Amino acid sequence: MDIDTDVQMEDAVTAHDDSLVDDDHNSSSSESFDFSMNQKYSRANEAPGSNIDTLDAWIAQLSECKPLSEESVKKLCNMAIDVLKYEENVQPVNVPVTICGDIHGQFHDLMELFKIGGPCPDTNYLFMGDYVDRGYYSVETVSYLVAMKVRYPKRITILRGNHESRQITQVYGFYDECFRKYGSASVWKLFTDLFDYFPITALVENKIFCLHGGLSPMIETIDQVRELNRIQEVPHEGPMCDLLWSDPDDRGGWGISPRGAGFTFGQDISEQFNHTNDLSLVARAHQLVMEGYSWSHQDLVVTIFSAPNYCYRCGNQAAIMEVDESHERNFLQYDPSVRPGEPTVTRKTPDYFL
Amino acid sequence: MTSHDYIQPVRRILTEEDLTRWQSSESYNGLVAFIVRLADSVKGKELGTECELTPSVKDILKVLDSIQTIIGRHPVVTDKDISRFGKVEFRDFYDEVSSSADKLISLIDKTSELPGVSKELKVYLVESWGNRTRIDYGSGHELNFMCFLYCLYKVGILDLESDSEALVLVVFKKYLDNMRILQTKYWLEPAGSHGVWGLDDYHFLPFLFGAAQLAPMERMRPSSIHIPDYVDMFKDKFFYFACIDFINQTKTGAQSLRWHSPMLDDISGVKKWSKVAEGMIKMYKAEVLGKLPIIQHVFFGSIIAAPEGVSATRDLSGIDEEHGHIHIDHDPDSNLHLNTFGDCCGIKVPSAVAASAMEKKHFRPVPFD
Ligand SMILES: [Mn+2]
Repeated sequence: MDIDTDVQMEDAVTAHDDSLVDDDHNSSSSESFDFSMNQKYSRANEAPGSNIDTLDAWIAQLSECKPLSEESVKKLCNMAIDVLKYEENVQPVNVPVTICGDIHGQFHDLMELFKIGGPCPDTNYLFMGDYVDRGYYSVETVSYLVAMKVRYPKRITILRGNHESRQITQVYGFYDECFRKYGSASVWKLFTDLFDYFPITALVENKIFCLHGGLSPMIETIDQVRELNRIQEVPHEGPMCDLLWSDPDDRGGWGISPRGAGFTFGQDISEQFNHTNDLSLVARAHQLVMEGYSWSHQDLVVTIFSAPNYCYRCGNQAAIMEVDESHERNFLQYDPSVRPGEPTVTRKTPDYFL
Repeated sequence: MTSHDYIQPVRRILTEEDLTRWQSSESYNGLVAFIVRLADSVKGKELGTECELTPSVKDILKVLDSIQTIIGRHPVVTDKDISRFGKVEFRDFYDEVSSSADKLISLIDKTSELPGVSKELKVYLVESWGNRTRIDYGSGHELNFMCFLYCLYKVGILDLESDSEALVLVVFKKYLDNMRILQTKYWLEPAGSHGVWGLDDYHFLPFLFGAAQLAPMERMRPSSIHIPDYVDMFKDKFFYFACIDFINQTKTGAQSLRWHSPMLDDISGVKKWSKVAEGMIKMYKAEVLGKLPIIQHVFFGSIIAAPEGVSATRDLSGIDEEHGHIHIDHDPDSNLHLNTFGDCCGIKVPSAVAASAMEKKHFRPVPFD
């Protein structure tokens, strides 16, 4: 099935396969989609074409910043697992694509991002993780991005950040938010179980290696990333942990990260890695940078941060990086959006104060 | 306390079991009782109230004044390393506090009667201002300042009978003033902040002490934090309003507390300040003293003793976390060694060495995001 029904796919193949993901490769019309949907979901008592309608309805609801019901989140997460489990540890991505960094629950700024970068699916997007924690709307943000992923699997790539983890979300807010918005931890559980399936890196036209954190002393070649078993909670150490946690540093070599996870890596490391893997650039997120993007190690590593005025107080700009057909890069910066309306949750006295 | 052996404080809480032991330990109970006693002593009292300052309290104020002077000596050089959020000059400030820590402690006259006490006191004092490498600050650092005061009380330099009120209204106030300067001058990042879902990016105790100050108030309700005139009128009198004012000043892009501080908004629905004050103590125990990501950074020495049966320290594991480097000893037979102040930059560590260094850390503290 191809849910990208309203966009032309370039990689048309003749064989038809009604499994959820392989169908992505088909150039399909909505009729063929409906046909496969009918087969695939008739068991679940869904009307023909209902999934695309359901997804569109969810996306419409979410774009108004209204969270889905727990039941819908459960359905969405199951659909997303069926898409994401077939993606690769190093998910291939074509140009043109717009590469984005941390969002951290700043839903209205995510909407601003799509205004600045162009609506999805007309523009292809690659998000490098950290959708949740700290912001007010992690639930809406991650629901929206996951719904878009299921709806337009070839048009949007969502990588895993270090915050897409059970341990970290219990410390930095997503757990609290889910509990607050749904009255229990079940939605948190659904999402953190889903996070295990997110791909951990992407490779744009074999030239730009994209990931949330940075390099690992245990990874010399991109093929070594392909060998990892990523479907698990982010480990406390080891290559998968490093890819999601490391930071570039002015000092050469490997350093112990002050974060207590991952490493710092110097320009010599980036030079070696990019040379070995014939890369032009490592694109990563994970660090707040005032201009929204920042170069490290000359032009070998770029940091992209897409949450403007982070936590309502940092005063930073946000940025995204467009890479066009001729691999030209263009940074688009933006400021916080105006937050309209009232917050979604009603006041509730915390138990400590009862 | 003659001939007492003071020891180098180290971190000892690593696992959930350690945390459980900590929560039933003498050190925990003592510290909680100390904080509750301080809070009780300021019920109904306003900031700026005249209170008696004993010589030791005056000495602590000298320490805090000196630290303020040190802040003044390290201006932010504009445009330097603009890519990083926190201002790197914070590290110069931190290093000066660290290198003059013995001298700072000696400003507290009575410490001269306790040879070696500085070894323990200075760890808490230096840790009170944030993390040097990450250029951040959070309630764990704030807790270190409480530990510092608690130690001074435990060794007999402070007396709760005479000093409690001044410790909150004058000493803690001065500490908070210094912290506000540091936070705004060096753009300290919030350490381990829950973002909008936490009480505050940086602090907990001014809310706890502030609610205690307001506890006897019957007519003015907690919901008054939403009224700008009240905030303006009370920000110099009550810690709680001072914090609300600071948040209003520093949080931008939202119309009200409901957006960026839903927790404070929730609490403002409580009917009485006395309920807020009680709740703050419960919440402090659970959200600060009961949280592994915070307590794993608490130091234990002879004054604040490690709970019985907790893990051995990770502080001598061959990795100098503060300086952020792996060090290779040139003696091929020796293991990685700890180097406290560094001449170590730029040594390329082979992957295998890095990997084995990491393996030595069996229990991993929750990382900083
Ligand atoms: Mn991150």
